[in-house]
Amino acid sequence: MRILLVEDDPDLSRQLKLALADAGYAVDHAPDGEEAQFLGETEPYDAVVLDLGLPKVDGVSVLERWRRGNVTTPVLILTARAAWSDKVAGFDAGADDYLAKPFHTEELLARLRALLRRSAGHAAPSLSCGALRLDPRAARASVNGEPLRLTSLEYRLLHYMMMHQGRVIGRTELVEHLYDQDFDRDSNTIEVFIGRLRKKLGADRIETVRGLGYRLTPLAGEATD
Amino acid sequence: MLDLRRRSLVRRLVLIAGAWTLVVMLAAGVFLTAQFKAAAIRRFDSSLAVLTDDLYAGSTIEDGQLRAPVLTDIRATRAYSGRYWAILDKSEDGAIRPLVRSRSLFDSDLMLASSQIDQLDAAPGKTQYFDLRGPQDKPLRAAAILARLPGYADPLVFVAAEDRSPIDADASQFGRITIFALSILGVGLILAVVVQVRFGLQPLFRLRREVAAVRRGKAERLDGIYPVELEPLAVELNALLAHNQEVVERQRTHVGNLAHALKTPLSVMLTEASQQPGQLAEVVERQAQTMREQVDHHLRRARAAARSQTSGERTPVEPILDELAVTLERIFQDKSDGQGIEIDWRCPEDLAFQGEKQDFMELAGNLMENAGKWCRGKIRVEAAPQGEARMLLTVDDDGPGLTPEERSQALKRGQRLDEKAPGSGLGLSIVDELARAYRGSVQLGESPLGGLRVTLDLPRAEG
Repeated sequence: MRILLVEDDPDLSRQLKLALADAGYAVDHAPDGEEAQFLGETEPYDAVVLDLGLPKVDGVSVLERWRRGNVTTPVLILTARAAWSDKVAGFDAGADDYLAKPFHTEELLARLRALLRRSAGHAAPSLSCGALRLDPRAARASVNGEPLRLTSLEYRLLHYMMMHQGRVIGRTELVEHLYDQDFDRDSNTIEVFIGRLRKKLGADRIETVRGLGYRLTPLAGEATD
Repeated sequence: MLDLRRRSLVRRLVLIAGAWTLVVMLAAGVFLTAQFKAAAIRRFDSSLAVLTDDLYAGSTIEDGQLRAPVLTDIRATRAYSGRYWAILDKSEDGAIRPLVRSRSLFDSDLMLASSQIDQLDAAPGKTQYFDLRGPQDKPLRAAAILARLPGYADPLVFVAAEDRSPIDADASQFGRITIFALSILGVGLILAVVVQVRFGLQPLFRLRREVAAVRRGKAERLDGIYPVELEPLAVELNALLAHNQEVVERQRTHVGNLAHALKTPLSVMLTEASQQPGQLAEVVERQAQTMREQVDHHLRRARAAARSQTSGERTPVEPILDELAVTLERIFQDKSDGQGIEIDWRCPEDLAFQGEKQDFMELAGNLMENAGKWCRGKIRVEAAPQGEARMLLTVDDDGPGLTPEERSQALKRGQRLDEKAPGSGLGLSIVDELARAYRGSVQLGESPLGGLRVTLDLPRAEG
């Protein structure tokens, strides 16, 4: 397993390199954002440990550039800033996990193991509907390569609709697949979730068929593959 | 001693206007009364002069004896009627002897003082006017002329006089009316000044109210439109406010940077300590933990200090819950044997929190993270308006929950921790501290999902 460690503090870098090597990983080290971006784009790493406060280019920008350049390597963010707004911004930029400084090395190693285990899941065919793409392995969805930020309930609803795209799906059917069984929510649950999905996917992708339910279709002009 | 600079502006302006009005009114009153009296006396004098002329012109000398004209004025014939006349003889030795007098004089004489005679002597043939004391000691006005008649040796003095008390009465009557009228005018003017000053100073009072609103945190700056004289002051005040905010912001950033800069060295120390055996390592680790808690505590303090500056912000709730739900599901994706957690959240689209976005994120994020830690896989979040100005944020989980004793304990612990040091096993102390800063409250209860229900009462921004 090959790990890219991006950290500018020499002491912390030395410690982490040692700890990662002890745990059996091959470690490359980048001390600044520019080098990190270059290495991440050119070398096939299994995971990246990324500090956010970096010289030259900051960590969030590096991460955003990787994700825009289709670098899907799982990334664990290290940062001193632990406010929720910072965490949300980190995940928005495409992080897979988040660890606030100061931390124990054991915790970092445990998180890294989990991250690698998740990404190592066997490949499953991805679903697509026009420019909309859903990857069941990583539980991610994207439109034109832009990742969508979905909660698990929204993802579950979209997954079901993508598996049955083009068909009108009734409300009861959707509720049954959204919730396990034991909780019955109020009657407008489906409207709420369809509303949120439309906001995130674009309003035209989900069509309301009056009296029957909803239908997911590619936009006019989009190739279906 | 009263400091004049402290005197109210309104009072100062009214006092000046009042004093000035009083002076002007007094001067006007004195002047008008004097003018009136002078005019009345001139009129009086000229009618007396006619009488003197008649006396002089109508008098003849027959056989060395003076014959006075027959005057028809009835008032000169009745005793003490108030109108009198006399013709006096001024002999060579200066003695004055009355020759003829009106019947109205009855038993008294109309005598001129010797200084008055001298005055007449100095300008013979010229009518002159005097104030005299007449019969019954009444004040008289007299016209007199000194002239010679052919056939008579001594010069003669013709005197006509009349009681002047009617003019004096008229004058004082006029004076009273004038004082009355001028007083009304003066009071009217002062009232006008009071109204003018009150109205004129209105923008100043408005400015004060706006500044007070800023201090109470109800507004961030002065937005009112002011007259050109006050506009620069308002602009300066706004600049001062902006400068203050900037200073606070800079301090806050400074504290933040310092705190965050400490975290990497702390990480290094913790890592190094955990890898070394021995007492030193233990001490370093313990101290590093304490430092970390202190750093977090002071970061929050810095934020709280900045918060009191502005509270007019309006933060829509829905997008924040969405972001937090997505983020937390990511963070807890390994929970429940890799099943992750499921956050089912509800919120009206137009619901907004009255306060800073960062703070709402901390409140909701910490509650949801806490639920994520303890749940078995399901979290429900519901934000709803509560009455006109409040909102409720309810977070439920399906974890083990807390017994009623544990619940009261948890909140008590939170309160006690707020006063001392940071850190709480439930992460509720941060939420409690923040909620209090917004005059909100935290309540713990039992969730229909089986676990803990945390209800947060917060101020809501108007729609």
